[in-house]
Amino acid sequence: MPKPILTIKNLTKIYGQNVIFQNLNLTVNEGDTVVIIGPSGTGKSTLLRCINLLTRPNEGQIWLDDLEITAKGTDEDQVRQHIGMVFQNFLLFNHLTALGNVKLGLTKVKKMSDEEATKKAMHELSRVGLADRANHYPGQLSGGQQQRVGIARALAMDPRVMLFDEPTSALDPELIGEVLEVMRKLALDGMTMVVVTHEMGFAREVADRIVFMEKGHIVEEGSPDEMFNHPKFDRTREFLWKITELYGKKEKEAE
Amino acid sequence: MDFSQFLSYIASGTVYTVGVTLIALPAGLLIGTILALLYVYGGKVAARVMNLYSTVFRGIPPLVLLFILFFAVTRGVNLSAFWAGSLSLGMVSSAYQMEIVRGALLSVSGDQLMAARAVGLSRLQAIRYVVLPQAVRLAIPPWSNEAAIVIKDSSLVYALGVPEILRRAQLIGASSQRYLLAYLSAAIIYFLLVYATTRLLNHLEQKLSIPSNP
Amino acid sequence: MKKYLLLAVSLILVGAMLVGCASESTSVLDKIQEAKKVTVGTSADYPPYEYIDEAGNKAGFDIELMTEIAKRMGVELEWVDMPFDSLVAAVAGGKLDMAISCFNYDEERDKIVDFSEAYYTTEDAFVVTSAFTGTITVPEDVANYKVGVQSGTVQDGWLTDNLVTPGLLPEANLSRYERVDQAALDLANGRIEVLMGDYVPIQALVAQNPDLRVVYRGVLSTGPINIVLPDGDTKLKAEVDRIIKELQDEGFIDQLAVKYFSEQ
Repeated sequence: MPKPILTIKNLTKIYGQNVIFQNLNLTVNEGDTVVIIGPSGTGKSTLLRCINLLTRPNEGQIWLDDLEITAKGTDEDQVRQHIGMVFQNFLLFNHLTALGNVKLGLTKVKKMSDEEATKKAMHELSRVGLADRANHYPGQLSGGQQQRVGIARALAMDPRVMLFDEPTSALDPELIGEVLEVMRKLALDGMTMVVVTHEMGFAREVADRIVFMEKGHIVEEGSPDEMFNHPKFDRTREFLWKITELYGKKEKEAE
Repeated sequence: MDFSQFLSYIASGTVYTVGVTLIALPAGLLIGTILALLYVYGGKVAARVMNLYSTVFRGIPPLVLLFILFFAVTRGVNLSAFWAGSLSLGMVSSAYQMEIVRGALLSVSGDQLMAARAVGLSRLQAIRYVVLPQAVRLAIPPWSNEAAIVIKDSSLVYALGVPEILRRAQLIGASSQRYLLAYLSAAIIYFLLVYATTRLLNHLEQKLSIPSNP
Repeated sequence: MKKYLLLAVSLILVGAMLVGCASESTSVLDKIQEAKKVTVGTSADYPPYEYIDEAGNKAGFDIELMTEIAKRMGVELEWVDMPFDSLVAAVAGGKLDMAISCFNYDEERDKIVDFSEAYYTTEDAFVVTSAFTGTITVPEDVANYKVGVQSGTVQDGWLTDNLVTPGLLPEANLSRYERVDQAALDLANGRIEVLMGDYVPIQALVAQNPDLRVVYRGVLSTGPINIVLPDGDTKLKAEVDRIIKELQDEGFIDQLAVKYFSEQ
């Protein structure tokens, strides 16, 4: 019986006159990798930022396991310890080394001793393949390396679910692979993930479910096979075809 | 009076110049930083109050404030000329330093704060461990400028009777009729003080700079 | 709760009033005698009345006089040097017990401070450089030239009231300086043509600079010089006046005048 880690009901977000999304519903079960695709500016990032309460929705509820995190009086900082986020622009703390970046949450939030924190942080850095860069500063790392540190930083907090907001969109093409590889391994290890991306290859290979969002609505969702090969809506087919043209063709040729 | 006596008379005012600076500058930093944090993170009302403070203290000539504090305000409280002068200069400097720190805080991208919150840090922790350390590095160059200004402005306390460098140069110049020598000596001493301070701060900036590959 | 608050506030107000009244009826003399110290202000940029000597100490006619006065009061003397303009405000504000700096009696000043009996009488002088080609037979003649004066002095007042206000001397031709030596510099470089000031310090400048000469000497704005005292402090004034008279009778002041004012 799949257990829902994230339950989103009737979520609405309005900025001034703009309705970003309205009455959105989504469920993410334990161990799922849900990939959200769609044209830019359709509220995908906003949705992610609502999930970890960086932005407050206007209406609707979100549950993390059995806790309604949108309820009044919720300790937001506490909740965010259990939801990891990886940003398009990496957003590493520039004044700290890679190790420092991963340790900060452990020492200041989880109140670990410096020794324990270093141990845990090095473990996470090894997981993303960057143990040898622990003492480098973000300014000394490539984009792909920075993003992997970003992933390690989020993983160190032992989150229930990881959110990825277009994690490879700001990377040079050659560096995308190393990040996607880390994400793929993570998914295989059983991490619950919600990924917003344009990387169709990743979606097809790793996702358990693909959600197609446009203009603040979920047009369609389903397994990769369903979405790519038997989409219910023309719009879905149209979008996937266009995007596969750009991103997926290389994969097809490789096959 | 031979030249060494002449010079040492003027130079003995240095202890007062340094004293005034060592009170005014750190006082300005402490107050300025607290006010800047309130300005940036304290909400709309706080921001308006801070803006008013900044406008008022940057709009009054420091000498005027010195006179007000020494002659007018301190009837009840007995402040010596040295302390009235140092504190007035500290107040004026705090307004300028608030703007420096505020600028530095705003230069650290708001995204840094967001990323810190995403890891689970509270707002206060995020400001303290992520924003402030980066802001400090950005603030050093304009602060070095402010330090030089305070050293030079310290000469204003001559008007209250503090026997610092400028006043001594005036007295010895009037008494010996050797004005050029007196004022040149004063200028050289001020220059050396500012130069040493600027070098020190440059060194600090280097030490604190975050390594990166160009 | 409210009742106690009101009571507390009224007590504080009454207390403040009493403290205020009490300090007004005590003389500064009592404070001086209790502390065994008198704090005197001067602007030591005015030789030969007050200046800095070879050793870096304060010296001059006023300095030596006040040193003797403090001795006769039986107290220690603490000097505070301040720009001339700040001295009166400092005495009025209680920052100084008194001030000696070649002060002439002035009605404006009298509003906020008091003056001792005169301890000496000075004269005014007009000084020019050797390049000066004009004529000054009567003092009012200076209205035809560019004049310099130390700001806030009685000479400043005399020039303003007698020449500027009636329109004889255009405001633009009167330059005011913080100190006499600044005015003397401008005289030397031609920015002003005539400098008006106290005779004795002017004479000291002339002695050091052969290019200068005094073209007029007499009592116009000056006259007696006094010590500046806190307003309304009759007790202190009585004591200071007593000592001044003592020193005059003994010939002490005449001796000082010879020491400091003898023309070279």
